[in-house]
Amino acid sequence: MKNSIIFLIGGLFLAGSWIVPALAQQGGTQDATKPSPPPAYTPRPKGTPPVEDTPAQLEALAKWKAKEEQMLEADREAHNAVVTPSYNFHYGKLSPYTPGNVTVQGNGFLQPDAYPSAEYCGTCHQEPYSQWRQALHSNAFRTPFYRTSVNILIRDPTRGIAFARHCDSCHNPIGVLGGALTEDSKLDRSKFDSDGLTCMTCHSVVALDSTNGNASVKMGVPSVIVDEKGERIPGIVPFDMILKHPERHSQAVMHDFLHTPEFCAACHKANLPATLNDYKFIRAFTAYDEWQQSKFSQRNPLTFYTADFTTCQGCHMKRNPNTLPDYGAKNGTFASHRWLAGNTAVPFYYGFDDQLTKTIEFLRSGNYLNVDIFALKKNGDDELIAPLGEANYNLAPKDNVQVFVVVQNKNIGHSLIPEVRDLYESWLEFSVTDAAGKEIYHSGSLAPDGILDPRAHSFTNRPVTDTGEFVDNHKVWTIHSVAYDNTIQAGRSVLVRYQFQVPADAMGAFTVTAKVNYRHLRQSYLNNVLGKDHPAYPVVEIASRSRVLKLGDNKPEVGNSEDNPEWMRWNNLGIALLDQFQYQESVQAFSHVVKLRPEYADGYINVGLTDMMWEKFESARTSIHKALSLDPDSARALYYDGLLQRRAGNTERESADFSKVVKMFPQSRDARRELGIVYYRKHDYPAAIEQFEALQKIDPDDLAAHYNLSILYRRTGRPDEAAAQQGMFADKKTDPGAPTYSLNYLHAHPEITIESIPWHLHTDSELEGGQLQNGK
Amino acid sequence: MASKSKCHRVPLKRLTSVAALFCLFILPALAWAENKCSWMNEATASGILGGEATGMVTAGGAERATTCEFKQLGTGFMRTLSVTVEVTPDAHARLQTIARSCGGDAALMKAIGNEALFCPILDHKDGRGEFLVGRVRDQVFTIAIKTTHKNDPILTREMLVVRIYTSAEQVAGNLF
Repeated sequence: MKNSIIFLIGGLFLAGSWIVPALAQQGGTQDATKPSPPPAYTPRPKGTPPVEDTPAQLEALAKWKAKEEQMLEADREAHNAVVTPSYNFHYGKLSPYTPGNVTVQGNGFLQPDAYPSAEYCGTCHQEPYSQWRQALHSNAFRTPFYRTSVNILIRDPTRGIAFARHCDSCHNPIGVLGGALTEDSKLDRSKFDSDGLTCMTCHSVVALDSTNGNASVKMGVPSVIVDEKGERIPGIVPFDMILKHPERHSQAVMHDFLHTPEFCAACHKANLPATLNDYKFIRAFTAYDEWQQSKFSQRNPLTFYTADFTTCQGCHMKRNPNTLPDYGAKNGTFASHRWLAGNTAVPFYYGFDDQLTKTIEFLRSGNYLNVDIFALKKNGDDELIAPLGEANYNLAPKDNVQVFVVVQNKNIGHSLIPEVRDLYESWLEFSVTDAAGKEIYHSGSLAPDGILDPRAHSFTNRPVTDTGEFVDNHKVWTIHSVAYDNTIQAGRSVLVRYQFQVPADAMGAFTVTAKVNYRHLRQSYLNNVLGKDHPAYPVVEIASRSRVLKLGDNKPEVGNSEDNPEWMRWNNLGIALLDQFQYQESVQAFSHVVKLRPEYADGYINVGLTDMMWEKFESARTSIHKALSLDPDSARALYYDGLLQRRAGNTERESADFSKVVKMFPQSRDARRELGIVYYRKHDYPAAIEQFEALQKIDPDDLAAHYNLSILYRRTGRPDEAAAQQGMFADKKTDPGAPTYSLNYLHAHPEITIESIPWHLHTDSELEGGQLQNGK
Repeated sequence: MASKSKCHRVPLKRLTSVAALFCLFILPALAWAENKCSWMNEATASGILGGEATGMVTAGGAERATTCEFKQLGTGFMRTLSVTVEVTPDAHARLQTIARSCGGDAALMKAIGNEALFCPILDHKDGRGEFLVGRVRDQVFTIAIKTTHKNDPILTREMLVVRIYTSAEQVAGNLF
């Protein structure tokens, strides 16, 4: 009888699982999202040992567990009997979820009813529930922006719904693992489509398969509690069972890996495999690797700057004071389940005002970017007037002025823009206005139809097909090349140059403004999704800087807190110039850093690094040795010293350098790779294999690891493994024909071609020889 | 498709037994397969109606919308879920025209397609229902959920609103 009541209660919760979320979406009915009040509970004082069950209680629990397991298996068998006969096993019976990498515990498809609903969780965890409902994870599947893309894949005559498992493995894993992604689906999709990534998808993952991405996790049979032996009990349980043993609840749903960036990597790293595109492996995005290479991971000794260790969760799941009752709160706070990031489109579409406001606040907070109107050049002179605010200069009517704007990705743990750069849009808007407010120059404006000026400097990319067409509608399986990719990697800077002419009748002062804008999503993609008659989607100014340039003499300004310290301003210019292959100017910029901070070892390293890129190795040695004299344990200096020692043929010194770096940074992919090469050249194959295998563990897609392991395995009598590595190398290596596709695109789009050249100028002015810039 | 045309070209008496079997069994099966509703499957409709439903698709034409109708028969009552979809150049105007059938009761439903309006229908002794008209780009769709059970315990007035929203999200999602 007791069990019947519990099942009835459970059934009511499950029934509610598809009723309440639907109400949540109706304008003005958001109160309906609030789950029923939580049951009464008084947490026991900290440090109190868990309650001990009596033998009778343990026996009852064992019976409960056995019954739940039996029911789950019976339901699963019945589910599979319905789903399997008509399921499209396009990739074979053993690969039901390919091209996704997700797997599931147990045999066959897992019925969607096995997942406790978000409302069940939300009864006690009201804070994260209410946040999740507005967040991207709960809306991962249903939004028009996603559905449009995935529907195109489903409708494509050369693809179909089986291929959509690649996308839905992350966007709708319950559907994928339940066997919904087939032509003749037998599943009631209203049970899970609206919840995308519900609580018990993330909290049911039992193992991370790798950092390969594409949903590389193993989903467990959902369980909200374990027994006294730590064994998972499937299905929902009465709340008093959880409240009596919260530690068992935590053990079931809070795996340690949930706090790691590797967990996020499962979906925030993606590739387009040959099983999707019938072509070859193409990297789609990898916010995880970008973080791993950033200063925030403390795993990469080669970053330009350093910072405290910060995970993905450290920025996107910050703890906030609770506003709703929550039994999981610690000291009145809970980790945010809004996952604030850049997506303003989804909350805008659904009318989730809290989420939209907080997203905009997030984008503008955190000192993520620094915009520096750093320098001027006049009338074609080589003299750099810099840094602005510190330097004296004179401006006159008719002066042809070149402005150097340096944008630093200062505190983002990944690139700007991360992930799908073909859809998200960030760009630099630059304007010059006179004292009367009249615009003299403007780059990066939006046309009345919402389309961004194609000549704007954007931090996007342009993926293209094998015929050189822009992949406008996120048809990722058609991508064969990328015509350009102007993202700003974490910790790096870009230099954007603008040129304008001071009018002959100019008087007074000018205001020069540079803004980094962000829009989710690109206008033409919004048009593809919603037609052209949709409202304008938010454009968020993430960071900006203005400067006043006076006609006549300009004197240094008194301290300006908006700017980085002067040495850092030069450093950022040097970094930007280095990435634009302007080595001489880069060395000059870094030399200013050395002059301003002679005790700063990294200043010398930066000079040395640039000299190495410039193939001035003797000069590089001097700088690196100077850095090592200042900081003998600088892993960064040791790494570059290792490369220089290799060049000089000093194998033992080279080996010692890289060994030391690996010891200090065991997860440095660069150091592992170089040390592997050292051992390879010494014919110490086991040691070389150890390094390349370690490298592959850090990045399973590293080409150097595939290449070298294919040779090393062959030489050590492991032909099968060698063949596997060789195959992966061939699959992941860039198609040598790919640049041709890019060139076809760029040839057809002169207005944008300039963006593919690292060192370019934005101007409306006529240049030397009568040529015009920017396709005009 | 090639096989289908072959069946038409070759005189019946010269058909091989294999071809005859193909025409007799496979073609009807293909026709049945084409009869699937593109915007909602039977399992989903069953979930929304609260019991096992069967669907029927009526293909549209230049002047007529394509219709999917799902019926769930209970003891002495019937629940239906009807979906229509038409493509029209001035879809917004068409939506407004259809919404007039709601009289003054049409209410905005947020975050369904580009726009959507819904209203109650049949709220009398013969049962009750809910109607929605929405638009995804140039596609106008309608959804009607009705029950002839005057005290339907599943399709209550409140639940009808919830379930028509769920239906609309499914249909609009598949139209995007």
